[in-house]
Amino acid sequence: MIITATGIVKAFGAGDERRNVLDGASVEIREGEFVSVMGPSGSGKSTLMFTLSGMDRLDGGQVLFDGRDLSTLSENDLADLRRADMGFVFQQPTLLSNLNILDNVILASMHDNRRDVDSIKQRAMTLLERAGIAELADRDITQASGGQLQRVGICRALMNDPKVLFGDEPTGALNSSAADEIMRLLAEIHRNGTTIMLVTHDIKVAARTQRVLFLLDGKIAGEFEAGEYRGASEELKDREERLMAWLTEIGF
Amino acid sequence: MQMYFSMIRNDFLRSKTTTLITMLFVAAAATLLSLAAILVVSLPAAIDTLMTQAKTPHFTQMHAGEVDLDRLAAFATERSEVEDHQVVEFLNIDGARIAFEGRSLAGSVQDNGFSVQNENFDLLLDLNGDVIKVANGEVYVPIAYMQEGLAGMGDRVDVAGKKLTVAGFVRDSQMNSLLSSSKRFLVSPSDYAAIRSYGSIEYLIEFRLDDLSALGAFEAAYADAGLEANGPTLTYPLFRTLNAISDGLMIAVILLVTSLVVVIAFLCIRFTLLAKIEEDYSEIGVMKAIGIRLTDIKRIYLAKYIAVAATGALLGLALSFAFRSMVLENIRLYMGEPEGSTLAVVVGTAGVAIVLLAIVAYVNRVLNRFRTISATEAIRFGKSQDQPPSARRFRLGDNRLLDTNVFLGVKDVLARKKLYVTMLMVLVAAAFIVVVPQNLYNTIASPSFISYMGAADSDMRLDVQQTDDIAAKTAAVSAALEDDPSVSRISMLLTRAFNVRTDDGTDERIKVELGDHSVFPLVYSQGRAPAADDEIALSVMNADELGKSTGDTLTVLVGGEARSLTVTGVYSDVTQGGKTAKAAFDDPSAEVMWGVINVELASGSILEDKIAEYGERFAFAKVSSVDEFAAQTYGGTIRSVGLASGVSIAVALIISVLITLLFMKMLVAKDRHSIATMKALGFRNADIRRQYAARSVLVVATGVVSGTLLANTVGEALAGQVIAQFGGSSFGFVVDPVAAYVLSPLLIAVAVLAATHFGTLGVKMTTIADNIKE
Ligand SMILES: Nc1ncnc2c1ncn2[C@@H]1O[C@H](COP(=O)(O)OP(=O)(O)OP(=O)(O)O)[C@@H](O)[C@H]1O
Ligand SMILES: [Mg+2]
Repeated sequence: MIITATGIVKAFGAGDERRNVLDGASVEIREGEFVSVMGPSGSGKSTLMFTLSGMDRLDGGQVLFDGRDLSTLSENDLADLRRADMGFVFQQPTLLSNLNILDNVILASMHDNRRDVDSIKQRAMTLLERAGIAELADRDITQASGGQLQRVGICRALMNDPKVLFGDEPTGALNSSAADEIMRLLAEIHRNGTTIMLVTHDIKVAARTQRVLFLLDGKIAGEFEAGEYRGASEELKDREERLMAWLTEIGF
Repeated sequence: MQMYFSMIRNDFLRSKTTTLITMLFVAAAATLLSLAAILVVSLPAAIDTLMTQAKTPHFTQMHAGEVDLDRLAAFATERSEVEDHQVVEFLNIDGARIAFEGRSLAGSVQDNGFSVQNENFDLLLDLNGDVIKVANGEVYVPIAYMQEGLAGMGDRVDVAGKKLTVAGFVRDSQMNSLLSSSKRFLVSPSDYAAIRSYGSIEYLIEFRLDDLSALGAFEAAYADAGLEANGPTLTYPLFRTLNAISDGLMIAVILLVTSLVVVIAFLCIRFTLLAKIEEDYSEIGVMKAIGIRLTDIKRIYLAKYIAVAATGALLGLALSFAFRSMVLENIRLYMGEPEGSTLAVVVGTAGVAIVLLAIVAYVNRVLNRFRTISATEAIRFGKSQDQPPSARRFRLGDNRLLDTNVFLGVKDVLARKKLYVTMLMVLVAAAFIVVVPQNLYNTIASPSFISYMGAADSDMRLDVQQTDDIAAKTAAVSAALEDDPSVSRISMLLTRAFNVRTDDGTDERIKVELGDHSVFPLVYSQGRAPAADDEIALSVMNADELGKSTGDTLTVLVGGEARSLTVTGVYSDVTQGGKTAKAAFDDPSAEVMWGVINVELASGSILEDKIAEYGERFAFAKVSSVDEFAAQTYGGTIRSVGLASGVSIAVALIISVLITLLFMKMLVAKDRHSIATMKALGFRNADIRRQYAARSVLVVATGVVSGTLLANTVGEALAGQVIAQFGGSSFGFVVDPVAAYVLSPLLIAVAVLAATHFGTLGVKMTTIADNIKE
């Protein structure tokens, strides 16, 4: 297990307004798995991802990431852990506007070891090539499309060869063809052995993952084992329909 | 209205520090402006009151020697413009013979004189502005001595053996100013008679005219008539100026600081406003898109700044009333309660109102940027900015040298230069106002500065004045000094009076210091010292008055015949009333005014002994240390400049700290998305804060270096202008390199970095969840 979360509680708000967004949710993610989390808007999907990665502190329960209890770690330890073992992709590209695309990708690696600039740049170029955007390396981020920037974000997240790649609706702001390309890239990354956890409300996206968790009322209301997706389009139709049926059954 | 109010309140709560700092600067600007207005209105009023109450003479001729009273009376009746005239005795008593509670005034370079109260005009006033009536056994002492703490009410004073008691202090409309070298004590006629034989008598020949506009003609007539004129000539306008000078300087300084603070207040506003606009960029776009009119959007923002500026202005006005009595203290003491205080309040309030209006107009102008925000663009992209090509070439991937955080800090400054210009400008100004007054202080406090001021840079000086046969006595002292083995250099200069034929054909008396001027060279603002017999150098005041500059010729009556002299140079002079000249020829037939001997000793340690020795040997000479002479001539100025320098360092540091604090808080707020992004990537708080420190270091370094450079070029020229008011123009800073180039920059840098530290505490509070989670 790369992540074991048991009975996690996370509350927001003060006084009477305070309520548990996560209310005893338990999640396990195996190494090499491609998991997605679904749920109604505002159900706490993002919060779940943020607690599993230590970016939101817990109000109860426990998260073990690669065997380490996140609640025992300091801010600095958590930062170091993110830098070493986690990668993130968000709905918006969240790139630094001062830096060009290549610099954005190598940023965190340069922080750790700038003596290896050449090998760092080489790795970044390999990733950009794999994402099909190598020719954009020298451009400013204003000179690329939303889908391209999202791919840059994925490359940035993969620089440290993370133990888990977290994605919070990485295709949420994209049109369907751009979203498709992102999902194909993620699938390839998964095939290369990276553990991926995606938050999404898009069935098309969830249908491509191995396992779908459904979050409701602060708990995992159920999970759907979809199995490995091989990449054929008729297979995808079938997976979507099965997932849809399950979701209706569980009350989405 | 309700809506505006709650919006203003919310905005205030969200940005307490920045709003407060902005308000503070507006308040400071308002305070200073109002104080300056109070001074500007009060000072002339107070001077007028003083000079009216005291019936200050319109024309005063000081004269040492016999006075022909009948001839003067005849002259006065003949001139129709003369309203009244009088000849007043000024009994000059050596400082060594005057002691307050046992402490003598021996070290004083002031001419301390005793007088009795006049009947008709030139009245000496007490601290209530009433004409003093002195009883026997009482003495009234110049205010300056009270301020220096030398004399207090009820002190016992010993004047040449006569015991007197201090019964009050003298407001003297002629000699109040520290710049005037004589001070008047007031005693009763019978006490005066008792001490009369212990001093030398100098006469003040004083005239009141019907109409001040006749003064010029009267001055010329007096000179033409060949009447008593062995001493300086002083006029009503000069007395006004002397009375105005120290408070006038204060007004100038306050106005200077005010303009700086106003500029900073504007910068703060510009700064917070632009940041706010950027923050609200997409909201503004949305408001536009749903059809809210531009003027309505502007009104919301304007409302906040009007509230902030108005509060600041009111606060400032209130503060100015609190500080009022402080800045008026000097005026109250020397001149009395100024009239027209309502006018001062009105003018002060008007000034503050103008600042307020300017702020509103300015905010309005900045808000015009709203026009360029297009609704669709704002919604789609949020902020949009392209970095300059120079910054684009500065790539992280090419960086092997700098720590990545330092690199990111530097890169940010390069990429967003415009943003940092504000902070840079403030720091340039801060360095400037730290270095200039400090260098100025250093310069005028340095021993060689006296040579800018018309006096020799020697160790000891002996003045032979107000005695008979000055030429012979001076020569005797000089001869004695020549024989003294502990004397390494000596120059003897005799000042004689000559008539100069001016361009309009009239004659004018000038005093020319004759001798070898190469022994203790002065710093000339133009040209050089006279060396040949047909050469002369003029003090700035004389050169201005005669309309001569270097290379011109001047016709002087030497030995009864007109001789054409070439002006070789112009120098500044604060001694002897500032109107002097120097030449190398001699003319034994011309009347001697005084003699000065400058002495340089082989060793400084024997100075005290030598002063005592020669003081005793030649009782008729006034022997003083040149440092002492300098300290007493412009020691007050040195102290004031020292104080001003201290104050400006404090002000500069406070401003740097506040602006940095403000700036950093705003940057952190503005950059919260990139901060959150970097945190998600695994940057620690300390990493990110180091980026901000790097930005600060770069900006502060640039600012301090350029500020210091400016200080030594533009600042030096500016300071030269100030010095020129005293008559000098070939001015150069004497710099203490450690203080000016190491300590001061370090001080600013430390202050800025400390402010950066506190200003970026917000980095810790900027969470990934609040800024990225969707
Ligand atoms: N930092 C926070 N402070 C206060 N409330 C928060 C915070 N983060 C989340 N919430 C609240 O918690 C609830 C869950 O938010 P979360 O973003 O996790 O939902 P979500 O499932 O990701 O929603 P969406 O599908 O819209 O992205 C919401 O009601 C949200 O308002
Ligand atoms: Mg979400």
